Amino acid sequence: MAISVKVMKRPEAGRTSYMRATLKGMSLTLKHMVRPDSVTLEYPEEQPALHPRWRGTHRMEVHADGRPKCVACGLCPTVCPANCIRLVGGEDDQGNRYPIVYEIDEFRCIFCGMCQEVCPVEAIHVGRHFENAEYTRDRFVYDLDRLMEQDHATTLLWDPSDPRSE
Amino acid sequence: MPDNGRKPETVALTIDGREVVVPKGTSLLQAAAGAGIEVPHYCYHPGLSAPAQCRVCLVEVEGAPKLQPSCVTVAQDGQVVRTDSDEALEMRKGVFEFYLVNHPLDCPICDMSGECKLQDYVFAEGREHGRAHEPKRVFGRDDFGGDVLYYGDRCVMCTRCVRFMEEVAGDPRLTVVERGSRAVIDTFFDQGLEGASFAGNVVDICPVGALVSKEFLHKARAWDLDHTPSVCAGCSQGCNVELHTRDNLVQRLKPRENQEVNGHWMCDYGRESYEWINRPGRLESPQAGRGSRRKPTDWRDVLGRLHARLQELRGAEVIVIGSPLWPNEGLAALDALAQAAGQVSRRVFRSPRAQDEDPLPGFPLLIRRRDLAPNVDGAGLLGFDRDGSDVGEGGLDGVAAHDGILLVLGDELRDQSEEFGASAALFVYLGTHDSPAAANADFVLPVTNFAEQEGTFVNAQGRVQRFQQALRPPGTARPAWLVLGALAAALAGNGPPPSRADGAFAALVAAHPAFAGLDYDVLGVAGAPLADAGAATAAAAGQRAP
Ligand code: SF4
Ligand code: SF4
Ligand code: SF4
Ligand code: SF4
Repeated sequence: MAISVKVMKRPEAGRTSYMRATLKGMSLTLKHMVRPDSVTLEYPEEQPALHPRWRGTHRMEVHADGRPKCVACGLCPTVCPANCIRLVGGEDDQGNRYPIVYEIDEFRCIFCGMCQEVCPVEAIHVGRHFENAEYTRDRFVYDLDRLMEQDHATTLLWDPSDPRSE
Repeated sequence: MPDNGRKPETVALTIDGREVVVPKGTSLLQAAAGAGIEVPHYCYHPGLSAPAQCRVCLVEVEGAPKLQPSCVTVAQDGQVVRTDSDEALEMRKGVFEFYLVNHPLDCPICDMSGECKLQDYVFAEGREHGRAHEPKRVFGRDDFGGDVLYYGDRCVMCTRCVRFMEEVAGDPRLTVVERGSRAVIDTFFDQGLEGASFAGNVVDICPVGALVSKEFLHKARAWDLDHTPSVCAGCSQGCNVELHTRDNLVQRLKPRENQEVNGHWMCDYGRESYEWINRPGRLESPQAGRGSRRKPTDWRDVLGRLHARLQELRGAEVIVIGSPLWPNEGLAALDALAQAAGQVSRRVFRSPRAQDEDPLPGFPLLIRRRDLAPNVDGAGLLGFDRDGSDVGEGGLDGVAAHDGILLVLGDELRDQSEEFGASAALFVYLGTHDSPAAANADFVLPVTNFAEQEGTFVNAQGRVQRFQQALRPPGTARPAWLVLGALAAALAGNGPPPSRADGAFAALVAAHPAFAGLDYDVLGVAGAPLADAGAATAAAAGQRAP
């Protein structure tokens, strides 16, 4: 992968005392033990409530017959400030314009949601979703099939009862 | 002004408060354009007749009882014109609303999106929201044959395409059928535009996405393309074009106006012959050594060794094989190196020729020429002779037994065997792609094609035309003039070699009297004729005799 990993420089072993920091941490812990206004969430048994405008990894909407809704107009790769969408348009056997290749590099994405905002056919969406762990880096380039398989809730960028925020 | 008889008669008028002086007979639309004011227009095109039927160029003329179509209203002395008066804007807004009554507005899937005149004008002057509630009529799309697809729903009925085929191509194959909202453009019978050799121009002049190119369909969005002024390399007419590129690949060619060469047009052959520029498998670094001893190396090393070898062989017989796909600068530098190295016995090029010419009746200057390479005439002026057959093969008699220096630039030697150049004392191959016939080359040097450098071609009219660099060269490939010029200068010991294209052109002008008086900067993007263009083309025609 072209992405490089930065290795932190730490002081040599034995040259640092952790005693002070440990005591400080313990005192904080003890303080919270006797203060019951806890905000701890028992994740993953308990799931956090995400805001309607939470912007997480993407999802591509599909038509009833399983085709992606994307028409390969090229607006999302144009607007994307992180330049992380790769799109190659073409024509399917019914004469519809569609994306032959549609990939989003979720590592480069800054989750601004502009792709969803610009899409004229409400195909690409950012999601109300945050559980994205993977074992390898390359799994973070989501291709079209993967985007279409996602089934998490999508972000509401505006209030449907007040689309112009008036 | 009328008192000055030598000047063309002019009229002075006021457009949007600006004083404008134009030649007599100019239309208001052109006069406004000259002052930098764009009046919307569909049916008017500078290369066609003006039927004044689209009604979007209406402007207010003081004293006229109603709005005037600016494309056919001739500018008069003292006229006061308002293109942006409330009345004109209101009227045009209404016209655009009518255009949108049945328009699909499928811009997301329309190939014209981003360069569409309906999009632009409605965005600038139209209503924010439509008021039509009725369902839109639907035509679907029609294959017009050739490279042209027709989306009837998007058509604004400007009839530019119909008039182009009739007035310019002289081949009326398109017409309007039906009337009112059911009117569409159609072809006669099943023949369509198949086989018409200038039909691709209808795609360029269609102001909307109604006529699109099949070849370009869905390939790239208009705003992703970089436009570079260039010259078509399809034939020796050298039509002025723009190379539209994306991802370092040429995606399409569009004609660029030049009234001396191609007007607003270009031929379909030229339009479609660009894939060779994108051909993969390029030579990316210099190599030295014959056959199995060949090793990649770097420029410093290869130029040093080549220079030493040329010194050793000084005075030997030199055969030069060039290519008219290469600009003048490269060919002149090749010639200069050959002269510095020894006795030049032959300078040849091989290039395919078509059976016949293909003129455009409505614009007689534009002819698809027989020579299917851009710089045949430049190569002729620089002393290269045509060799081989009309498919660009054969010839090269005696090269097999040549035991001196052999310099090859750009000719891929496709028809030659692996034995080619075996007996040459020094065989230098400069090209974009490796070739089996280059197996015996002592040095293989990667050079750029014309789209990856700037330079000049000489067209069949004896016009020197400049093109600009559109693509990044692969690897360490360099322009041929840079490599050859450095070697020639080192060998002849005459000062520093040119390091920029203008310097290479100046060196060429100094060495070849046919180019005398030309200046790289003055050429601009429109080019300039050779001082003695007539004699030059006659000489070139003489050596081009079949
Ligand atoms: S959320 Fe923003 S950065 Fe991420 S893909 Fe969409 S436009 Fe690009
Ligand atoms: S904006 Fe929507 S339709 Fe256009 S390419 Fe992106 S996902 Fe596809
Ligand atoms: S012709 Fe123009 S306005 Fe019509 S769909 Fe195409 S881009 Fe949009
Ligand atoms: S197809 Fe294009 S050029 Fe022809 S009439 Fe329609 S809008 Fe005009």
